[in-house]
Amino acid sequence: MNIYLFGIVFCLMFVFITVELIRRQKLQEQYALLWLTLGAVMVLFSFFPDILNPLSHFVRIYYAPSLLFLVGLLFSLVFIMHLTIVISKLHRRLTRLVQEVSLLQEQLKNGGAE
Amino acid sequence: MRLLVIIPAFNEEESIGQVVRSIKHAVHKADILVVNDGSTDRTSEVARATGVAAVIDLPVNLGIGGAMQTGYLYAYRKGYDIAVQTDADGQHDAAELSKIVEPIMTGQADCCIGSRFLERTEYRSAWSRRMGIWFFTWMIEWMIGKTYTDPTSGFRAVNRDIIRLFADYYPEDYPEVEAIMLLERQRYRVMETSVLMHSRQAGRSSITPLKSLYYMLKVSLAVCITRIRNVS
Repeated sequence: MNIYLFGIVFCLMFVFITVELIRRQKLQEQYALLWLTLGAVMVLFSFFPDILNPLSHFVRIYYAPSLLFLVGLLFSLVFIMHLTIVISKLHRRLTRLVQEVSLLQEQLKNGGAE
Repeated sequence: MRLLVIIPAFNEEESIGQVVRSIKHAVHKADILVVNDGSTDRTSEVARATGVAAVIDLPVNLGIGGAMQTGYLYAYRKGYDIAVQTDADGQHDAAELSKIVEPIMTGQADCCIGSRFLERTEYRSAWSRRMGIWFFTWMIEWMIGKTYTDPTSGFRAVNRDIIRLFADYYPEDYPEVEAIMLLERQRYRVMETSVLMHSRQAGRSSITPLKSLYYMLKVSLAVCITRIRNVS
């Protein structure tokens, strides 16, 4: 199997899995949109690899695939950063939630008396 | 003035009963709150059995910062004027409690920290721990030009303003040093007073050597960030 065919198969599978995850409501809408867009871009490039060359020439990158690596790496980095921010926010909310639940429990045990 | 003593406890069944009783014995008019930080032992039952403490059970372990904040939330909502935090392992002498509450009562300070090192006391600790304390003393002095002889001391009393502040935001793990920085930044009057402390009566410190290095770095960063953070 040559690499182009592999690319095409992989991208189609990627899009299929993404749609399936959305259908089963395992992805939030905002991420669903992101992954679908990414999938579409990947499908585009795997079906028409020739558009990479003019694109990289346009931004003066002489070894075309390095443009892919650059964009891919930067995307991953930004996305991981985004996820860390989301986790931090969730962590803060979870802490507050646990505190509220425990305070309520204590109040219940005292017969709700203030 | 209504006084609440907050005791965060994580797996302290051996010492918590004695700690609660000695506090009640030393300061009759104080209410006592034990925040059981998701202990896996009988901490909660033992604390309840004393009959003189309210007990809050956190369903999951939040760490010392989250547990203390729960206590401050409780203190704020129940309208307490002064909150004292103290360890569950018997390091802090209940008889010394009034010493750190006194300056808050008289309005001398907003926060009063019990220090082991302000005057020579019998307290002795491992050199690694002293190194850590010296480091933070130096760090705070370097940043704000004020000397705290015992910045890691968890024996402190605060007034209603700070209760409200801490209910809203309290640093995560190993929060004592960061809290000093936060209060200094907000221009609260923080003071130290000399107290007697014991070596722990039961249980072990939750801080291992490797962890303490990690905490040093993390707390240092947090202190630096607090120094440059926007405060309103």
